[in-house]
Amino acid sequence: MGSLRLTTAAAAGRLASRLSRALGRGRGETMYGRVLLAIDPQALTKLSANRDIVLVSGTNGKTTTTGVLARVLADGTDEGVSTSQFGANMRAGIAAALSAQPRHRFVVLECDELYLPAMYNTLAPKVIVLLNLSRDQLHRTGEVRKVAKLWHDTFTRDDVTFVIDRDDPFLDYAVSQAGHVIRVTFGGRRHPDAATCPACMALLDWSQGDYRCTCGLGTQLAQVRSDKRFTGPARNSVLAIEAARLMGAVVPIEIQEQLTVNPPDRISTYVVDDVAVATRLAKNPESWRGAILATTAPQVVLAVNARGIDGKDTSWLWDIDYSALHGSTVVCTGERQLDLAYRLSVQGIDVTVAQNFAAAVRSLDSNSPIQAIASYTAFQDLAAQHMGIRKATGGRT
Amino acid sequence: MSLTIVRLYHDLLGTYGDQGNAEILIHRARARGIDVELVEVAPHTAVPTQGNIYLLGGGEDGPQTAALEMLAKDQGLNKAISHGATVFAVCAGFQIIGSTLPGADGAKISGLGILDAETIYDSSPRSVGELVIQRGSVVMTGFENHQGLTRLGRDVSPLGSVISGIGNGLEAASCTRPEGAHDGNIYGTYMHGPAMARNPELADEVLTSAVGELVEYDDYWAQALAAERRFTLTRKV
Repeated sequence: MGSLRLTTAAAAGRLASRLSRALGRGRGETMYGRVLLAIDPQALTKLSANRDIVLVSGTNGKTTTTGVLARVLADGTDEGVSTSQFGANMRAGIAAALSAQPRHRFVVLECDELYLPAMYNTLAPKVIVLLNLSRDQLHRTGEVRKVAKLWHDTFTRDDVTFVIDRDDPFLDYAVSQAGHVIRVTFGGRRHPDAATCPACMALLDWSQGDYRCTCGLGTQLAQVRSDKRFTGPARNSVLAIEAARLMGAVVPIEIQEQLTVNPPDRISTYVVDDVAVATRLAKNPESWRGAILATTAPQVVLAVNARGIDGKDTSWLWDIDYSALHGSTVVCTGERQLDLAYRLSVQGIDVTVAQNFAAAVRSLDSNSPIQAIASYTAFQDLAAQHMGIRKATGGRT
Repeated sequence: MSLTIVRLYHDLLGTYGDQGNAEILIHRARARGIDVELVEVAPHTAVPTQGNIYLLGGGEDGPQTAALEMLAKDQGLNKAISHGATVFAVCAGFQIIGSTLPGADGAKISGLGILDAETIYDSSPRSVGELVIQRGSVVMTGFENHQGLTRLGRDVSPLGSVISGIGNGLEAASCTRPEGAHDGNIYGTYMHGPAMARNPELADEVLTSAVGELVEYDDYWAQALAAERRFTLTRKV
């Protein structure tokens, strides 16, 4: 580290981080970063100097894709790669990730959508991967097109290469002023939140399964054509592989296949009374749709809260088609279990409710498979090993 | 008995989950043995004039203006209302059916003029959070998330009086803290949730306006949700 102030800041941060962990306030990265930035406000600029930085942002899949990209980059270059841990994706978390191994040349950082413009300007990234944009935490981030416009107005330089899924019209609009863009297409698919053009507000033409607009949005050629059958996690893996290649990594074909045929997802297994429950994190309409379709067990636990990070308005639960759960035994839990139970009952699905996750699992047949879907804080509560539940395996990144 | 529910521009006015109101109306009507047909109206297709209940939801600023322009040009909704149809409009939809509102660039534009209500944007922060209102003897709840403030005309009643939250945000002749609007068969509100999920009385009132008196039925989950929300949110007030 270059300066005395930064060294002092890092030492103070480590102390605060240990204290935070000792007090049971989480893993300590955010506290570390906060103290670091309080003592040296220039820490982000200093720690990012002379390093090759990749940022990963979007509504869904940031944490998983950041992990995939960091691994592929490390394996494909034989260089050290610093990366975000556990989804801490705002200023403090990013500062902590940057200072963890300051000598590593490569840094792969997950970045919150609203912090991305500031990080674009502060960190001088080489590559930015944009995964997708859809409705999420409407009370906090505002409407999708406001995020897209913020990005569009920010991304005007030509010293960054963007890697995007161009089938998402919000992303194609976000990078339309940027100098260098690698557009990846998966053959086009209807975006549930993009009836009108993010650029000119006219109605988008989706009649061919892909978008067209009279203003020209979407007419730029894609450099990479990928598989139409890929689900969200597989698409994110493809974007991560393209970004790693841009940074000079060699990615063998077997690794590509592995990452797209069986892509990592945000699943953890929790154990209640010796019954293992594979639990998928889902936190907005798009990720719930994917999670419902990926659920195969005959018994399902659904957990929904509505704390800040979950989105305080649960109306979006009504935007999801739960018909794939017909015939399954479904138990709802979490603080907003009744919103979900009523929604499912209107769709003709039999439900019961349970006071907490453990009670939900205990109400089911322990000899038959159980899967779960949990919204953000419900998932965090489980990860914090509340309610006497044992976590069987670490969350795959 | 049969009932036609018309959901207008789900793609444009579906940002805030209000399309659930249609499913709830259908479910509650069928539970009473009423035949229901749902007509989805896509942008640039004609709005049917013979429907019984027309639903509009919340949407983003640009799509809101696009929806308004199409409805103004089509005139099907206005014709249906002249035949006595019921309208239930939420948030952006509520603003659209009023007399004036801000357009996508913020300048004042004409609404459909179905309700005597003008919406303005001032410098106050966006109204975001749980909304609790008194409507007659019933406490109703929803989640509001809107930029505009709405002033009701002299002859328009609010849907309810705000207990906590913002609601319309501007005083009305009959109410210092009004939420939404109710004028004959026309309903406007800022409550998402969806409003009819969290307030089964409101869903049944709208149904009654179209088909007359309803029989009781066992709507356990609706009653449980309404009661939990009301208890949780009034306990904090």
